[in-house]
Amino acid sequence: MKILVINSGSSSLKFQLYEMTTEKLLIKGRIERIGSETAIITVERDGQEDVRFTQEILHHSEAVRSMLKFLTHTDLGVLDNILEIKAVGHRIVHGGEWFRSATLINADVQQKIRHLYDLAPLHNPAHMVGIQAVLEHLPHVPQVAVFDTAFHQSIPQKAYLYPIPLSLYKKYGVRRYGFHGTSHEFVSRRAAQLLGKPMEQLKIVTCHLGNGASCTAVSGGQSIDTSMGMTPLEGLMMGTRSGDIDSAIIPYILSKEDLTINEVNSMLNKHSGLLGISGISGDVREVQQAASEGDARALLALDMYEYRIRKYIGAYSAAMNGIDALVFTGGVGENSTFLRYKICEQLTYLGLHLDSEKNNEPSHIERLISTESSSVNILVIPTNEELLIAQKTFSLLEED
Amino acid sequence: MEIKKVGVIGAGTMGRGISELLAAKGLDVLLLDKSQDKLSEGIRLLDASLEKQIERWALTHQEKKLIFSKITPVTDEQLLIECDMIIEAISEQLEAKRLLLQHLENFIKPETILASNTATLSLTELAEAMAYKERVIGLHFLFPAGQVKLVEIVRGLKTSDQTFQVTKQFVEQTLDKTSIQVYESPGYVTTRIICILINEALHTLTEGVATAADIDEAIRIGYGFHYGPLEMADRFGLDSVLASMDALFSELGDLKYRPNVLLKKMVRAQHLGLKTGRGFFSYSEGGERL
Repeated sequence: MKILVINSGSSSLKFQLYEMTTEKLLIKGRIERIGSETAIITVERDGQEDVRFTQEILHHSEAVRSMLKFLTHTDLGVLDNILEIKAVGHRIVHGGEWFRSATLINADVQQKIRHLYDLAPLHNPAHMVGIQAVLEHLPHVPQVAVFDTAFHQSIPQKAYLYPIPLSLYKKYGVRRYGFHGTSHEFVSRRAAQLLGKPMEQLKIVTCHLGNGASCTAVSGGQSIDTSMGMTPLEGLMMGTRSGDIDSAIIPYILSKEDLTINEVNSMLNKHSGLLGISGISGDVREVQQAASEGDARALLALDMYEYRIRKYIGAYSAAMNGIDALVFTGGVGENSTFLRYKICEQLTYLGLHLDSEKNNEPSHIERLISTESSSVNILVIPTNEELLIAQKTFSLLEED
Repeated sequence: MEIKKVGVIGAGTMGRGISELLAAKGLDVLLLDKSQDKLSEGIRLLDASLEKQIERWALTHQEKKLIFSKITPVTDEQLLIECDMIIEAISEQLEAKRLLLQHLENFIKPETILASNTATLSLTELAEAMAYKERVIGLHFLFPAGQVKLVEIVRGLKTSDQTFQVTKQFVEQTLDKTSIQVYESPGYVTTRIICILINEALHTLTEGVATAADIDEAIRIGYGFHYGPLEMADRFGLDSVLASMDALFSELGDLKYRPNVLLKKMVRAQHLGLKTGRGFFSYSEGGERL
């Protein structure tokens, strides 16, 4: 059974096609700059050279049509007929409190995704456009929504509420929702499989470190706390996002610098984090490069970045009364041997010991990087949110 | 009808601000001015304003680049034929605006919406000699266009429901602004009321009741304004304030709209506020009060 996974952004559309019986990725691609005369289509196929071309794509409906046309292209495509696509799984950033699991998309689900525009103004409207475009071209194919927030719906009230007047939660839904849920779920499941232990017996801290970054405490297979909050700004220090700060700083700088709400929002989301401290970049690789050349601000930025991750790991170990496994994923988590080393170096009190040799292996495959004597397993697991979306879509259809 | 490409005529303060706003929302903008010199100066000032915003963390370098990639400065008016909407933001003179709209009608698409950013002039009069009066509408952006959430949508007597609906949807959904519908009357709501406040501040100043700085402090702190009335006038441009007051006075006839004599003197002396660096207060080129 072939399942198409779609991640629809405001001016982009990413797609992957899976053969689910084998979970083989048949093709993946992305369409960027939708809405322009020079939209870019890039397609990657296993073992073959990437195909890249530009064409006029003015809206998402055209993007979906181009994608389907490509999938069935005589020479370059992988399908004989679009009817081979049995379902479409969509990545949806915000499912609010309504969605605890993957859900078949119907009119009611669409209405609820729309209701959440306020909480995810950049993402949910773009996802809806993707859903509508698929509906237009594949009207009889079931579509499934897989929500980034769903995995975190198991977080207990004591962890998802903020200690502010409860009426704000009741009136506006002000609470922790958490993000990167599909990634945290995927890597925690894989960790259990790799360790050969049932999920129910494991306490895992997963660190998704990419351009955005979050940590999750996964106990018995369920998220019980996560560092991102009502928005993806809370928690760890990130590339350009501040993460946790004293919220009283905001009114203070608003008046000192005579800023508007938009300016302070942009400052916290786009000018802070590694970029704000290093003054160089929000990209860990570039900051690391500068630090290796002795740049003091780059060194400080990395120190802060690492320190804040370590504090969360400590906090979540406390929240779960110990941990069995620590998982690194995301671009930075998977590739930065230096950061993994720095983080683990100061966590030996947990009985956690990094095997330097395994940590330094220039490998992109999932692996254990702790020593044999370490009482906590440390793993690097490349995330694959699209595969999990395909799996969830597939199992929902099977149940049906 | 979806509006994707917009022509903005006039690279002055409002034209630049409107272009920046449209480009930031992902629309393709043709910014037109009659001379290459005016256009180049407009682009230079737009660049300075965006740099200032980066300094204030409102924008990133990437976003600035994106905004510039969406704005094409042009002097050839024939290029406006591609636009779904044209917003004129030339100086506030009835005859100039009327001739411009009439001229545009000779070559633009019949369905293109023609919007005027006028603050005080009559839409009906502006559209008087036009063949398709129903597509003329007023879009009064407030300064600074990118930051003020409000737009007044002005209906002339002949503006069609379709023109109004498309424009309202454009303002609210594409530009993410709050709109109010106003009917033809000089100064509409915002200019009419704010001009009176500014003029009264000028009377208070000329009568020696308080200094310019104190008058502004009183209104800013006392009533929660972002700027006091005199700094506000400096930022609008004292020539624009005078033009608005003159229009209000001549249209409505009430003495309360008669511009204070100090305003006239300052305009004659070319102390126009922010745009010349000197008005009631002094300003840096980046727009900071010194």
